[in-house]
Amino acid sequence: MNGFCVTASPRRDHFSGRGLIRAWALLFCCCTYALAQSATHPVNANVPFSVPVTHLLGLENTKNNCNGTLSIQDSALLFQQRGKPGAKIEIASVRDVFVGGESKQVGGLPMKLGKAAAPYGGGRVVSLFAHKKYDTLTVEYADGDGGIHGIVFQLKKGEGERVWQELVGRGVSAVVLEKQPTKATVEVTHASK
Amino acid sequence: MQASKRNLSICFATAIVAIAIAFPDRLPAQTDAAAPTRAGSSAAQVSVQVERVNPSDLGLAPSFQLAIYESLLQELNKTKRFHQVLREGDRRASEIPNLLILETTIVKYTPGSETRRAVTTISGATKLTVRSQLVTADGKVVLDRTVNGNVRFFGSNLRATHNLAKNIAKAIKKSPCSLPEQPS
Repeated sequence: MNGFCVTASPRRDHFSGRGLIRAWALLFCCCTYALAQSATHPVNANVPFSVPVTHLLGLENTKNNCNGTLSIQDSALLFQQRGKPGAKIEIASVRDVFVGGESKQVGGLPMKLGKAAAPYGGGRVVSLFAHKKYDTLTVEYADGDGGIHGIVFQLKKGEGERVWQELVGRGVSAVVLEKQPTKATVEVTHASK
Repeated sequence: MQASKRNLSICFATAIVAIAIAFPDRLPAQTDAAAPTRAGSSAAQVSVQVERVNPSDLGLAPSFQLAIYESLLQELNKTKRFHQVLREGDRRASEIPNLLILETTIVKYTPGSETRRAVTTISGATKLTVRSQLVTADGKVVLDRTVNGNVRFFGSNLRATHNLAKNIAKAIKKSPCSLPEQPS
């Protein structure tokens, strides 16, 4: 009993003194974490930013549907394939940046063949689940003669917005940046004559 | 009589061989020059400036609009129908004579889904219908076509833009799109 009293009283002291401090510290950490989650982190213009992308079309002297890295270095947007010279676009020449969303079937040709060979329509069931959402980043820029160019990149879902934020953070605010909703396309037929 | 005919044909053959030997690089050039005359002499000198696609408030994604524009530039270059293929906003356009402007307007757009195509086969096609017009600098319409581009079975939705651009280039290649004669 004595032992209980001896051990109980310091515990009570612990809760009222140090415990309170700990509770406050915990609350402070939680608040800081929550704020960090909601607020957009400031972009450091000196730190090079890079993200793996697939170049769908648009870049000159670069094959369509090739993988590479899209990076923002100083004042340029750089697409680099492994072991090949990169394609560079000055951020100042960028007119518009659009972020969109699409979905595609995964697995490529081997998967397609496998699905076709599956009996009793099993391939269709596989198709139902074998799809992946991705972001598209469309960059519109003007060349030295004023000619408009368009480039379309495919990125992992969520990465498009990151690149967009990076571009805004690196002083592309003078350029009109429009963000298209990332929602998948809707099945609506429009017609106008 | 027969001997003189024979001599004459030998003379002709010798003359042709001599010309071929004397001007070896002339003959291919002549055949190149002869080709445009078949398709219309002014067609080879005509240049084209491709305008961006007019989406007509049909909700066509910017990636699709620019994909059509870029594919059109590529496909028109492949046709070799035009002397130069310029982009919208290119300042050199003002200096180029015989310039046509290619305007593309979306008429109908059905967004598809690759997954729906894979699951059902019959639904989920991405369909694009556009009106393509070749216009002179003073606004005269030289060519007016309605062209389709679809993806029905295999491929991503963006492939519809490539198919569309191919069809537009084909339509332009087939048509005799020469400049209207200027009044002197």
